[in-house]
Amino acid sequence: KYKLDNRKSNVDMFNLTGPSRTNRPDNTAFTQQRLPAWQPILSAGIVIPGFTLIGLAFIGVGVALFVTSQKITDLEIDYTGVAATSPCFKCTSFAAENCMCQMEFTLTTLFEGPVFFYYGLTSYYQNFRTYGVSKDGYQLSGDTYYFNNPQDSCAPYQYDSNNNPIVPCGSIANSMFSDTFQLYQVVNGMKKQVPLDGKGIAWWTDYNIKYSNPALVNGSFANAFSGTVKPVNWSKPVYELDPTDQANNGFLNQNFLVWMRQAALPKFQKLYGRIAEGDYAQGLPAGNYTLLINYSYPVISFGGTKKVVLSNVSWMGGKNQFLGIAYLVIGSLCIVMAMVMLIIYAKYKFTDDDEDM
Amino acid sequence: NDCYSQSYPQLYEPGQRSLYFSKGAFIKCALHSCYSSLVLFFVPYAAVRDSVSTDGHDIADHQSFALLTQTCLTVTVCVQLGLDLSYWTAVNHLFVWGSLGMYFLVTFTMQSDGLHRLYASSFPFVGTAHNSLDQVTVWLTVLLTAVLCVLPVVVHRFLFMQLNPTINDKAQPPPPRRRARIRRSSTRCSGYAFSYAYGYGDLVTSKRFLRRPVPLRSAGSTPAGRSAAFRPAGRSAGYSPSGQ
Repeated sequence: KYKLDNRKSNVDMFNLTGPSRTNRPDNTAFTQQRLPAWQPILSAGIVIPGFTLIGLAFIGVGVALFVTSQKITDLEIDYTGVAATSPCFKCTSFAAENCMCQMEFTLTTLFEGPVFFYYGLTSYYQNFRTYGVSKDGYQLSGDTYYFNNPQDSCAPYQYDSNNNPIVPCGSIANSMFSDTFQLYQVVNGMKKQVPLDGKGIAWWTDYNIKYSNPALVNGSFANAFSGTVKPVNWSKPVYELDPTDQANNGFLNQNFLVWMRQAALPKFQKLYGRIAEGDYAQGLPAGNYTLLINYSYPVISFGGTKKVVLSNVSWMGGKNQFLGIAYLVIGSLCIVMAMVMLIIYAKYKFTDDDEDM
Repeated sequence: NDCYSQSYPQLYEPGQRSLYFSKGAFIKCALHSCYSSLVLFFVPYAAVRDSVSTDGHDIADHQSFALLTQTCLTVTVCVQLGLDLSYWTAVNHLFVWGSLGMYFLVTFTMQSDGLHRLYASSFPFVGTAHNSLDQVTVWLTVLLTAVLCVLPVVVHRFLFMQLNPTINDKAQPPPPRRRARIRRSSTRCSGYAFSYAYGYGDLVTSKRFLRRPVPLRSAGSTPAGRSAAFRPAGRSAGYSPSGQ
């Protein structure tokens, strides 16, 4: 911009050496938007072969995923006990304490190992917002100040009726799954226990980084929790979760860690153990099996179900039909669209060429 | 640039007639957004539902699911952005690839062990990226959502370019093949009595005269470095109006 100075002649308005010259941007490629550029166009020569290639690639991946998913075996055993004929029906009444029930199942072929043992719940909304924030991260990382002063996010599971602080506080910890399982193979009428390995079922980062136990007090782990009480729904305090193995006790208990990892969906399954040792290293051979359950976790009141899931895994993880089918469908659609576009392009191209003549 | 803007004033018409910002364009945008949102949630939902990772651990937990959906979204947005960018300079490359790279960098940093040790309550997602982004199914899900969100747009644009080309589509250079044909001697009978080559007459008399760039070499200003042809293919939100 320039001032119209009355003292100068009108010619100065067009004088290129005046103040207007200094405001002109540099004549470089960057400032004049002349940078070398690649300009892709959606031309038929790119789009149609591109769609065909994507379609073929997707069909290939889809076939691989589908075949792999079909090969994964999984077995579900629902033991909620809703039906009166179910072996676990007797455990569903409120009066039943420490109720044991047995579910029987048969395997017709070898269940290839390593076999993973999960417990599954339905209609269980661990993803509910107020439930999800109801825990005290400081307590769970071993900060003893918060043992006596749990955070308000844990309410109403913060203090018990006698105003004692709860450790670990909050809804997630309080609702920890309490059923335990033992698996037996029936061999010649005798029950042979199938060992369930509970080590390493939680994430490494949870066990090593996110959660840690408080330091021992006077050589005793229980003393570190003095002045606190166990959560309302627990049968034993947190320092007795595994008295035999201190590496699996307290906040580092693998089952506790697996439970604290909040599920995203209302129907979920959580790892309980691995069958990969001893006689069962190759998997579960065909035969009759008995599942002995210590049924203590109530789900019928909210219409949920409980089940045990046995599964093996592959390079794509657990059994999931969706990805394979989705890839096949999208791949086929891509090829169909490529053909449609080719027909339309050819039709309109020849129409245009005819018009030119 | 300014020379081409003055040579082709017809390109200003769509903007003056508010054809890029009309109710129709808005509804198309809203429909595309609804569709993308549904895809971006339900495809990850269906992919991790009832599934586990390759070592049996949880893959459908809250934090992994959130990370998966977030990654799907970021990749899809970058791919859609790449589709809309019609003019890839070094700056564009930097920002698009940089956004994607920055996302992964920040995610891994925020979910690293070190930051959690420093400020535990602010970084509760420790370990999530490490545990879920090494799963093949996670990456296949990301690819599937990106493809599902972007390919319908490509099909829509391509078909509309063929069936109902807009003024922007028409102002394209002739494909190289056609230019070569002009310079070669024609193999078919030509209506021109005095030429061996196909000639330029058809271009002048056809409706597509805009395709032939007017040679403006005199001003000394050259167009964009690599290509000498004029390709104004700007689109706002990708929903170009139909018709001229």
